[in-house]
Amino acid sequence: MTETLARSVIEPQNPRLNASRNANLPHVPGIRIGDYIFLSGMVPVDPETGERFHGPIGEQVRMTLGNMRHMLESAGTSLARVVRIHVVLADIADMAEMDRVYREFFPVDPPARTAWSMQLRFGNGCEIECLALAG
Amino acid sequence: MMRDVIAAPRPGLDFRRHYGHHQSPAIRAGGLIFCSGMLPIDPDTGERRHGTLTEEAHCIFGNLKLLLESAGSSLDRLVQVHALIYDSIEYDVLNRVYRQYVANGPPARTVWTAQSEAGFKIQLDVVAAA
Amino acid sequence: MSLSRTVVAPLSGLDAAAALGQPASTLVRGGPFLFVSGLAAVDPATGRLMRGTIMGETRMILTNLRQLLEAAGSSMDKVVKVNVLMASMLEAVPMNDVYVRFFPDPPPARTVCGARLPDGCRVMIECTALA
Repeated sequence: MTETLARSVIEPQNPRLNASRNANLPHVPGIRIGDYIFLSGMVPVDPETGERFHGPIGEQVRMTLGNMRHMLESAGTSLARVVRIHVVLADIADMAEMDRVYREFFPVDPPARTAWSMQLRFGNGCEIECLALAG
Repeated sequence: MMRDVIAAPRPGLDFRRHYGHHQSPAIRAGGLIFCSGMLPIDPDTGERRHGTLTEEAHCIFGNLKLLLESAGSSLDRLVQVHALIYDSIEYDVLNRVYRQYVANGPPARTVWTAQSEAGFKIQLDVVAAA
Repeated sequence: MSLSRTVVAPLSGLDAAAALGQPASTLVRGGPFLFVSGLAAVDPATGRLMRGTIMGETRMILTNLRQLLEAAGSSMDKVVKVNVLMASMLEAVPMNDVYVRFFPDPPPARTVCGARLPDGCRVMIECTALA
C-alpha cells in the first residue's frame, strides 16, 4: 500500500533566516513530509542582521547550527530530533575545529553524520543540511 | 515494511544495463521515493547528452519527470534536492533553469559543488513524496 | 503520535564514528528507517583507518556496513538509498566492481560524486535502510 504523506513548507520565525525568500531562490527553508523534515542547506548568516558571517570557522559552525536550531524549533521540533546531518566544509583542515563546536549542539546521541569538503559559495566556510523527525 | 523498486520507465534510464551502475532508478519506502542521482542521459537511447549546464539540467528534469510520474509521483512532490554542479561559478545558471521546474512550490535544496561522472556539469539527487 | 528516534549501538569494533572520535552515531533509527553515518574504511580489528586501494577501501566499508545492518536487524537487501563520495571519480568503476558484490539484485538507489574527503580516504559511503 502506498502512503500519501502530507507536504508543507517550513519557514523560520526569524525572517532574516529565510534565505529562500530574501535572496529569491527557487527553494524553501524546509519541507515537512509526513513526520520528516528536510531542511535546505544552511550557511553562516547573522540572525540579527541577515548578513553573511565570515569569522573563524568555529564561529561560523556555531552560527549555522544555532540557526538550524531556530529553524527546527520554528517547525515544532528540535536538534535532538535530527536523524541525519551533512556537514560540508570549504577546507577539510577545519574538521577538528568544526567537531569541537558541533559537539556543543549534539552532546548526547548525535545524529548519523557525513562530513566532507567541497567548494562552497560566497566565501562560506561551512554548509550544513539535515533531516529531522517532527516533534 | 517493504521497499518497492521503481523500474526505469524508458529503456535509456536503465543505467545498470547501459553503464553497469549497480543501482535501481528509484526505491519507494515509507511514503518516500529515493531516486538515484539523475544524469543527462537520453531516456530512449541511453546515450550521454553532454551540453551546457542548462541543456543538461533540462534533460535531467525531463528524466526525473518521467521517472517520478511512472512511480505515481511528480516534480511537484519533490521534497529534497541535492543539486550537484561541477563548479559554483554556474550557480546562477543552475537557478535560472531549476526555477522553471519547481514553480509550483519548490522543495528543500542544497547545492553541492562536486564531480559527477563523465564530466557532466550537473547531477540531481532527489527525494520525492510517493 | 510522533515517530520514534533511537540511536542503535553498533557491534563493538564497528562503531566507526567512535573509532575516529567523531561526534556522530553510526546508526540512528528514525521511524521505519535506519540512517547510517558516512563510513570510511575503518578496520574493526584496529579501529584505525586502512589506507589502501579503492577496491580495498570499498570492500572494507561494505563488509562493515553489512555487519552493522545485520546486527541492527536490517540487511543489505533493505537498503533504499546509498550515497558514495569519492576522492576521484576516475575510481568509480573499480568501486562499482566491488559494490556489485555486496548489494542484491535489484539494488538500492545510489548517487556517486567526487568530493574532498577527510583523512586521505578514497571513498566514503552513507546509506539509508529500512529497519
